[in-house]
Amino acid sequence: MAMKKLLNKPENLVQEMLEGFVLANPGKVALEGANLVVRVAPKSKDKVALVTLGGSGHEPALSGFVGEGMLDISVPGEIFAAPGPPRVVEALRAANRDAGVLFIVLNHAGDVMSANLAMGMAKKEGINVKQVLTHEDISGGPRSNPEERRGLAGALPVIKVAGAAAEQGRSLDECLAVAERMEANMATLALAVSGATHPSTGDVIADIPEGMMVVGMGQHGEAGGGTQPLKSADETAEIMLAALLDDLQAKAGDEFLVMLNGVGSTTLMELYLVLRRVGQLLEAKGMKMARTLVGEILTVQEMGGFQMCIGRLDDELKALWDAPCNSPALTVK
Amino acid sequence: MTNAIGCTEMAAMLRGAAAEIRANHELLGKLDSVGGDGDHGTTMLRAMANLEKAVDAASGNDLKSLLYDVGWAILGVDGGATGPLLGMFFMGMSEAVEGCDTLDASALAAAFEAGVAGVRAQTKAQPGDKTMVDALVPAVMAAGCTAESGGDLLSVLRDAAAAAAAGAAATKDMQARFGRARNIKELSIGTPDAGATSVSFIFAGFLKGMDTNA
Repeated sequence: MAMKKLLNKPENLVQEMLEGFVLANPGKVALEGANLVVRVAPKSKDKVALVTLGGSGHEPALSGFVGEGMLDISVPGEIFAAPGPPRVVEALRAANRDAGVLFIVLNHAGDVMSANLAMGMAKKEGINVKQVLTHEDISGGPRSNPEERRGLAGALPVIKVAGAAAEQGRSLDECLAVAERMEANMATLALAVSGATHPSTGDVIADIPEGMMVVGMGQHGEAGGGTQPLKSADETAEIMLAALLDDLQAKAGDEFLVMLNGVGSTTLMELYLVLRRVGQLLEAKGMKMARTLVGEILTVQEMGGFQMCIGRLDDELKALWDAPCNSPALTVK
Repeated sequence: MTNAIGCTEMAAMLRGAAAEIRANHELLGKLDSVGGDGDHGTTMLRAMANLEKAVDAASGNDLKSLLYDVGWAILGVDGGATGPLLGMFFMGMSEAVEGCDTLDASALAAAFEAGVAGVRAQTKAQPGDKTMVDALVPAVMAAGCTAESGGDLLSVLRDAAAAAAAGAAATKDMQARFGRARNIKELSIGTPDAGATSVSFIFAGFLKGMDTNA
């Protein structure tokens, strides 16, 4: 598969992308300092700030969720690679306030290392920062072994509910508690049907054989488990939902947020077919599809497939999910 | 060959490492593309460019700050786990050389050991897990043994480089249990680990930087 992308110099890719991203969202986001993505209208200093970090090449994640009721600062890294601790420390300093900083980290080795080194340095400087680690990818291992589970698109619901709580003026501990509750009630599974190319190296990432699909792909299409012949939308929905509900030990009466994250080249049309079947299956089990979100949240270039993320909601989490927000990639009025 | 490493010699070792990585970055990218996303070579190039900038900017005769600045510069590479791990190697070395104007063979071996401790504080990867730890640990053990048995600086560097190369080569037959390559399970067997290979080039570069005959 030859790479067919509109690019300039690979070494300038992230910088140029960020400049365009800011131009595409005037009045919402800006670049500050060492390429930190910040809100144009900052949250008042008496409210908890939300900070995250993550590799680029996954647009709109994660910088697309900087905005009112969402993140305050995102630290974008290189393509598929976490930013180093110095820029992350700078972000924590910029976010620093008496109310405290909630630091949302997706479980990937580089992100975690950078985040922990930066947290250590920030704490030495007296910055009041607490961390929530997202690791909802059930293909990594059993729930009892969270370190093996990667953080996928499920970071978005965590950002959404914690961001809403922060906007309402809740304390750092309260924001952390809702973030952790959302995270603990979430499960994600990734499906890939076709691979992608690394925009800097041109390397093929995930070469999915013709006629096959892979259930349990990571964010970068690392190979791993679950290769099987391509199934229909209905059958695929059944396989994935069953695994997710099993992981969450779901029972009749549970209410769910169902999020389908297209990872690049899978069409909305296909995602709607999958969502339709998920709705039917939940209803048949006496469960409720209480909230839905379908679209591109965390992509992997032109990879084909999607992530199915379900999160069990209680009344408080529902209210926080419904609270207003205004970010480039998600707006709730 | 001198029998003490001061700032000038350390700078030569560091530049030697950068030159060695630069000469081999395409191989590093190829190794990474088997289980990772193929960017290890370009990440290491950026790391070494940052390293050289820090070496160029270093002034005075303070080994501790030279190594600290190099470590901090490498931490600043937005390259996933590579930056923090490699950066902490030099940060660890920096802490160990506190108060030293120059290093003899034992002090250099001790600084390497502290560097590896810095790396291992960041990861739970153990020898055998197919990571850079598989090159670092034997390199540091070899350096320690050679220094302890009275070997000179050049022998320490030579034995460390040989052990790092052997350690990196041995990762070929290992199954990855850390990093992205972990996800391809047994398919990772047959290709040496990119991070361990980088470490072997760094130690080879340390040696070449000090001994132009190497």
